[in-house]
Amino acid sequence: MLFRRIYQFLIVYIVGVSGLLLLKQILGLSDYVIPGVSLIITIAQEAGRGYFFDVLNTLSIAVLGQAISVILAFAVGIAGRKSSWIGSFIKMTAYNIQAYPIVALAPIIFILLGDGFVPRLMIASMICYFPLLLSVLGVMSAPVKDIEHFYIVTGRMRWQLEVKIRAFENLSKLITVISGSATLAMAGAIVAEFIAADAGIGYSIRVALYQSDLGKILVALFMIGIVISVYQGILESISEKVKRVMMVPEDEI
Amino acid sequence: MRLQCRDLAFRYAEGGKKILDGISCSFTRPGFHSVFGPSGVGKSTFARIIAAGNSHSYEGELSIEGLDTILYSYNLERLPGWSSTGKHIDRVVAPEKEELKRELIRIFKIESLLGARFHQLSMGQQNRVNLIRYLLQDFNLLILDESLANVDEKHRQSIILSIKKLFPDKMFLYISHHLMEVSTFCDQIMVFGASSGKKSYVMVEAQNCLESQAVDKQKRDKTMLEIMNAF
Amino acid sequence: MKKFLSIAAGLAAAAILFATSSQAEELNYRLKWLFNASVAGDIYADQLGYFEKAGLDVKVKEGGPEKNAIKELELGQAAFGVASADQVIMALEKGADVVVLAQIFQINPMMWIYRSDIPEIKELSTLKGKSVGVTFGGNDESILNTLFAVGHLTKDDVDLFSARFDLSPFLTKKVDVWPVYRNSQGVILKERLAKENEQVHFLNPADFGVKFVANSVVTSGKMVREHKDVVEKFRVALVQAWADSIDPANEAASLAAIASRDKGNTEDIVKLQFDSTRELVKAPVFGTIDVEAWKQTEAIMLEQGQIKKAVHVENAMYK
Repeated sequence: MLFRRIYQFLIVYIVGVSGLLLLKQILGLSDYVIPGVSLIITIAQEAGRGYFFDVLNTLSIAVLGQAISVILAFAVGIAGRKSSWIGSFIKMTAYNIQAYPIVALAPIIFILLGDGFVPRLMIASMICYFPLLLSVLGVMSAPVKDIEHFYIVTGRMRWQLEVKIRAFENLSKLITVISGSATLAMAGAIVAEFIAADAGIGYSIRVALYQSDLGKILVALFMIGIVISVYQGILESISEKVKRVMMVPEDEI
Repeated sequence: MRLQCRDLAFRYAEGGKKILDGISCSFTRPGFHSVFGPSGVGKSTFARIIAAGNSHSYEGELSIEGLDTILYSYNLERLPGWSSTGKHIDRVVAPEKEELKRELIRIFKIESLLGARFHQLSMGQQNRVNLIRYLLQDFNLLILDESLANVDEKHRQSIILSIKKLFPDKMFLYISHHLMEVSTFCDQIMVFGASSGKKSYVMVEAQNCLESQAVDKQKRDKTMLEIMNAF
Repeated sequence: MKKFLSIAAGLAAAAILFATSSQAEELNYRLKWLFNASVAGDIYADQLGYFEKAGLDVKVKEGGPEKNAIKELELGQAAFGVASADQVIMALEKGADVVVLAQIFQINPMMWIYRSDIPEIKELSTLKGKSVGVTFGGNDESILNTLFAVGHLTKDDVDLFSARFDLSPFLTKKVDVWPVYRNSQGVILKERLAKENEQVHFLNPADFGVKFVANSVVTSGKMVREHKDVVEKFRVALVQAWADSIDPANEAASLAAIASRDKGNTEDIVKLQFDSTRELVKAPVFGTIDVEAWKQTEAIMLEQGQIKKAVHVENAMYK
């Protein structure tokens, strides 16, 4: 799973860069517009290490942001699962807010909170929060009648049990959504850094853009791609393991 | 105890086709009664109305006396998958029913299944495990909606006979497609017919055997014929 | 990764567009920044038909933070453009074929604003212990570094703060000295603070001998070689338009032209920005290229590692 993710990324990256180099060749463009291979390698040697740590910095924000949004999405999703008016209100609000681009809200966050750790974290969480919330709401508000029936008619149903049943029955779906939201959180953190921050890979891309340096941007994208692939690969491996452990009796593990 | 209905009717949407129509019946004694008939005639709907009582919509009259706790079980039910079936059963059994639990586990022959997860069991095994959970609850009337489907015949018989013996003062409504079985072991049989007929059901008195050896084959055949010819 | 593909697809599409549009007579002129008083002469040329009179069909296009005129020249999306000196020098180092036609700003509008409650900065050592805003990666970083070198300061002597478009760190006094374009944000900030009875000063690097050239009009070497007449007509028309636009006799027409394009600023602000721009661009002959300043700019960039080898920028000046 992990290696597949990495080589999938490498293939796409190589195809993309080759396309650019081909274009450079055909149109006879200078290194200023599209850097050549040797320049990209030189830049990678100079900036690669720094960018790698920048990506790790961004990843740490993304992971934390993702964790926060998972917790929040479950809290709100659980609260909003009933068909009460509060439930419908939460659902409607979530759908409406999701339609609003977070990037448009970002400047407000930066004006209020400045450009530091908190706004980066907030935007990373917000970008992955809404898709997560909609999935969790969907799962939590759909009864699993065949399992829940017994507990309801025998008066044993508690909200914790209801949540547990619905979460467990949709484990694969929830795990897929959670691991998929890692990319969203990363994108959110990068966007936040791009708009206003003084650390992370988004900030470094911003600086490279000031200098119109496509070479640096290509190196930065490579680092982002590799790190996200590894992170997602790890998440997927963990979720596979979780699924196996949850579905098989103890004595067969 | 009394379960009685008069001119009971039901339709899903106002002005829609009636799923049940003109049902009048009365069950007044404990034991194994049956609701019998082909698929789609409204057996499960009838059972659900009884189980839900006034919280279900219906037309006509339904009166239930001395049956405080009515449980409805059906054959598609599942146990959660996060722990073994044995653990799930343990969690829903009151301490005073521990002995009954052991007895039922023995009769239902599910000792070897208690360590497995529910989804790993065959359909017949799943239904047995599910039914045990219900029998270990407090109830006056338990509706078994094909709750023994996919259980092999011999096994089914011994389970039904054991239930009758262990719960002599409880009422059961058994929905099944096994003609010979209901004719042999049930008391009153409510036979549902095709809805095109004038009367949508017929009550048949059956043999209500308590032992498998005591089957009166002649009487059984007569009951079977009666049911077959009902519609 | 999708981004790469879309960039590649975009470039390919641009190339195809170029192949077809290069036949047309329309010449795109890509500015460096949005339409406001700092591009007064460019707007004036467009509004008052200077290019038409020269027999050219020029489309003046607004710039912005992500726009890069030199790249557009090379990709054939523009025939002329405005670029900062550091962009020109970096492009030359990477083999771009770019020629400087005219130098718009004789004084770089990139300055630092500070409130008069800190002592006026007559010596660079006054900066010690102050918090100073800088756009990392922007040309103000190069200028500031050079100022530090000139003033024998190190980065540890000041408290550097990463600056963005948001001015609140300066407004809330979190940062003492903030980078601004003298003729745009500088004017707005000065006015805004004046309303709160706060006076400001500007730190002009040129006062300390740091001459870092700002915006200049550029075209491609290919354009000069193949369409010298068009280039010459464009240059003459543009220089004349700028000279006329800052002529006090034409002020009303100039302000009206700017007002028709710049909807974001009030009339008063536009007037102040225009006055400021006039001070920064004025020269005995508009557009004069200060070759020594260009050489100094290159030397600064070489010194700070922004370029690795000398490009002899003086050779890229239009003759």
